[in-house]
Amino acid sequence: MSRESTPANPESPLRDVMETRELELNLGPQHPATHGVYRAILKLDGEKIRQVDSVIGYLHRGIEKWCEYRTYPKCTPIFDRLDYLSAVINCHGYVGAVEKLLGVEVPKKAQYIRVVMDELQRIASHLIWLGTHALDLGAMTMLFYPMRERETIMNLMEAMLGQRLLPNAYPIGGVRFEFPNGWVQACRNFLADFPGRVADYEGLLSENRIWRQRTVGVGPISGEDAVNIGLSGPTLRGSGVYFDVRKAMPYSSYEDFDFEVPLGANGDVYDRYMCRIREMRQSARIIQQALDGMPEGDLKGKVSRIIRPPAGEVYYTVEGSKGQLGYYIVSDGTDKPWRLHVRGPSFVNLQGVDPMSRGELVADVVAIIGSIDIVLGEVDR
Amino acid sequence: MTDERPPETPEHPEEKEKKAADAESGKEKDAPADENKDGTAAAEKQPAAKPAAEKPAAAAKPAGPKPVEPSGEVVETDVTRALGEKFGGAVKGVANPCGEATVSVEKARLIDTLTWLHDDPAARMDYLSDLTAVHYPNNEKKIEVVYHLYSIEKNHSLRVRVPLDEGESCPTATGIWRTADWHEREVHDLMGVVFDGHPNLVTILLPEGWEDHPLRKEYPLGGAQEEEIRANAFGRPGTMSDDLDEVRKIIKEYRYEP
Repeated sequence: MSRESTPANPESPLRDVMETRELELNLGPQHPATHGVYRAILKLDGEKIRQVDSVIGYLHRGIEKWCEYRTYPKCTPIFDRLDYLSAVINCHGYVGAVEKLLGVEVPKKAQYIRVVMDELQRIASHLIWLGTHALDLGAMTMLFYPMRERETIMNLMEAMLGQRLLPNAYPIGGVRFEFPNGWVQACRNFLADFPGRVADYEGLLSENRIWRQRTVGVGPISGEDAVNIGLSGPTLRGSGVYFDVRKAMPYSSYEDFDFEVPLGANGDVYDRYMCRIREMRQSARIIQQALDGMPEGDLKGKVSRIIRPPAGEVYYTVEGSKGQLGYYIVSDGTDKPWRLHVRGPSFVNLQGVDPMSRGELVADVVAIIGSIDIVLGEVDR
Repeated sequence: MTDERPPETPEHPEEKEKKAADAESGKEKDAPADENKDGTAAAEKQPAAKPAAEKPAAAAKPAGPKPVEPSGEVVETDVTRALGEKFGGAVKGVANPCGEATVSVEKARLIDTLTWLHDDPAARMDYLSDLTAVHYPNNEKKIEVVYHLYSIEKNHSLRVRVPLDEGESCPTATGIWRTADWHEREVHDLMGVVFDGHPNLVTILLPEGWEDHPLRKEYPLGGAQEEEIRANAFGRPGTMSDDLDEVRKIIKEYRYEP
């Protein structure tokens, strides 16, 4: 940790008696704005930030090692615990990787059901983000409205998958259940209300003078830098880079649906906020189309009871709610993975805190961390 | 609990010996021929060590551990063909069962290759999606560092593998993609690969001062401390037997009282 003195202002009458030097300030690990056990060591020049050193690993559970000792189906539930706010999408990434390795064809109906559940989960994750991010910046009221909508989604999840938060959503090869009676109508009711609710959130924040002062122009990052740092998801698209796994490498029939990928222009906190808000509307559109065009057919493809993929490696990515979620599996031909690695989008995106924060004020770090939307379960794995 | 243990567990004492042998070879490290000798030596030790483990079930196992080899066919794309023309024998295609383009690059030409992939207008791999490493204790090359490259502009991807010997370092890719920074720190933490030229190769996920590298195959699942507790509790090293009756007997005879 460097503590070298910086030259004092030569004009100042106090230059001989006052020493100016870099100040270190700890944000976290027990700080509400870090959304978990994450510690940022801020190096300050007055109130300006010179550097942010991130300290992570408080939640490291070694799940990659754990998976090497389990058969493929037994590994599935642990990935819900990575990014616990979008458990369904994590599960989709893993089963998708194993299906690709096995060469299993997932029935069209199962693919559509997966899309519906994934997009509901994406909305739920963005709603939590919206509430807590606004709370960090002092908009207390904003916490409660998204929670109301999220509760509806959680109830839908519970009715469909039997669990609210960590449902262990999909088996390898398809989905477990048909939509229960009345579920589709309940979902349609939610979708009918939802655009109006998003308009409410926007009415509270988007043109709010305090909100704009705290977010517009704060923590900008250029598209080129964002790609080089490896950002993904809304954090990357806020900088105007068109990269969405659902469009670039369509999986699970995403090519059937008509939706837009919202892009920002300046890459600041406000643009990332706008990207997520607009993404929620697009997710609602996708669910609507999937429910309307739901095909008939089987729920599960042909998967043998004991899963032994061919020896080799696979890298399968899905668009998680935080960004590109990748699973890298090395199989040695037995029923347990030889090596399993998860590319957690939060882990990579968190590297962006330092370049985004340089030159900003201390209070802005809270806004920047919030705008990246990290979940520490995924950062530390 | 017992059925979840891997079938390899009875071999644990030998693996430890092998690890010790590997460590010795790392200390001496005279010539690459030594390592070959070591490999055969470890294989010879195994039948000798098996009676010591007192497990009749273990005798049925084949003598040598099988190396992990990918199945499938080598996938050719424009980028892999261009790489082959540019770098010749330093770049080799690797088979893949899912049709993903994979190449294996010699360590000496790694940074040249990655820089070319990043800068060349036809390849334009501007996005390093993932970087990790895999431990293959039974293969000739023990560690492989794996890069997953993607081009946002061209929408194509490529996997680059770098085979390394035990204890060999790898040049850093942070000069090309800044995202490699944390990935390489993670690999260093969990696999023990040293990245030459990395600006800040300190621990990232493990607690400070952690000595072992948990994702290596010889590292026990529960960690070194758990193995110690088990050894004390049951009076035998390493792991429990797969045989349920035997486990019951052990628990009955050596009941652990704190």
